Amino acid sequence: MTQRISKFKRFVMMNPIIQFFKFIFLSIKVLLIVAGGHGGTREVHK
Amino acid sequence: MSKIVILGAGISGHVAASHLRRKLDKTHEVIVVSPNSNYQWIPSNIWVGIGRMKSKEILFPLAPLYKKKGIGFKQAKVTSFYPEGDSETEKPFVVAEYVSAEKKGETERITYDYLINATGPKLNFETTEGLNPGTNKTYSVCTYTHADHANEGLQALIAEMKKGKEAKIVIGTGHAKATCQGAAFEYILNVEQELRRQKVRDKAKITWISNEYKLGDFGMDGMLLSYGSNIMKSHEMVEMVFEDRNIDWILGAGVNKIEDGLAHYETLTGEYKTIEYDFAMLIPSFSGHGFKAFDKNNNDITDKLFKGFMIVDADYAPKPYEDWTVQDWPETYQNPNYQNIFAPGIAFAPPHSISKPRKSPNGTEIFPAPPRTGMPSGITAKLVADNIIDSIKNNTESLHHKGSMGNMGAACIASAGFGITKGSGVSITTFPIVPDYKKYPDTMGRKLGKTFGEIGLAGHWLKLMLHYAFIYKAKMRPFWYLIPE
Repeated sequence: MTQRISKFKRFVMMNPIIQFFKFIFLSIKVLLIVAGGHGGTREVHK
Repeated sequence: MSKIVILGAGISGHVAASHLRRKLDKTHEVIVVSPNSNYQWIPSNIWVGIGRMKSKEILFPLAPLYKKKGIGFKQAKVTSFYPEGDSETEKPFVVAEYVSAEKKGETERITYDYLINATGPKLNFETTEGLNPGTNKTYSVCTYTHADHANEGLQALIAEMKKGKEAKIVIGTGHAKATCQGAAFEYILNVEQELRRQKVRDKAKITWISNEYKLGDFGMDGMLLSYGSNIMKSHEMVEMVFEDRNIDWILGAGVNKIEDGLAHYETLTGEYKTIEYDFAMLIPSFSGHGFKAFDKNNNDITDKLFKGFMIVDADYAPKPYEDWTVQDWPETYQNPNYQNIFAPGIAFAPPHSISKPRKSPNGTEIFPAPPRTGMPSGITAKLVADNIIDSIKNNTESLHHKGSMGNMGAACIASAGFGITKGSGVSITTFPIVPDYKKYPDTMGRKLGKTFGEIGLAGHWLKLMLHYAFIYKAKMRPFWYLIPE
């Protein structure tokens, strides 16, 4: 095993309080990206 | 009055049926034809496969819901298409064979005004000799029954490991052209965490085997993504996770034969190798269902509808990899020969792979097929439904709703371990799914910021929330349509 994630980073990744705010942030960000619309590509480049 | 027939009741078919029923009045018929009696939320099969969720939590029966909502349901599998009708039946129709107990074996001609082919993929286990879930110590998590078997196999192995057995676990793709690496990626991380939870991790050697050229390809040619304040390539991110979890990897591997505890594979360098295992979960290749199509004179016109999967408004002209563009990808999922037939989700034939095609010196193509699962399946199904609704309401063909995978974002919330406080997830979003190298030339065809990765407990919560939200939506509970695809 090679430790590739530092102890501090691991603490941040698994701390429920920090991760709660991350959860809110991620939910909004994912929603904006996914529900942010989609469309064609052909007219755009004409 | 129009009659819309939807083939398949997976993510794509069910989304299309739900929106059509909600937006069309009851003078129009919406009929779903599917051999499956249950709806299943496939992304949660990962948790069924490690025993942290029961299969009954990810499925529900379709017939009562459809009856309540006024959607017709025929538990049958389609065998052939007659898009021009025939000498006996004037309207276009499909031939379906019932699989439900009370009508088993009976066939019916189901006529339609609009047809949505959302039959998804055939899980093509037979193209890899010996790859049959539940035999030769290999398993799958592609369906809830497969995931149940995988869990039984895994728990039996863990019991042996608790008695001192040293085990080899292999997880990845079971064919040179398989796709859906994301599911295998989730499963390997969940298995690793489950072994740690059951305190037998030190007894296992876990290996990732895949047809990807680099880790983190996922059939999308990898991606450049924002990770915190850094910008990194997806293979660097996955490499970091695998090294940290002590997972080995074999890349560019086309698995071609399975024997009891042995996976034979060919590498991109042309070598033939074998890996031993005590438990393997290998994703099979996906293929079309082998449907046949006939014109009104009963001549075979299968090639007007199918190219393995269904032909849609993509550019299928063969051309070199360097000439592929994002504009080759379909926008409306309409069959060019029959304007009342559509194929969203996995059912449409992609114009080409997204990952760079590679061959071994022996001529074997070893690279992932393009993914169309999950979110793109839902989005493309909804836009197809919206176009049909507009066409019916306006009484003229309407194709205003467009959604190319080259102009669509997707989120892959990959579980990396189950548990409210001990769980983890690798959340990756990508925009667009098919890289647009002209629009985003300096960032590997994708928009940074909208293409990002995160690792941590929040990812697990997000995936769990999506599980409950999408099952709520699929059950068409109040205001279900406010939850986006």
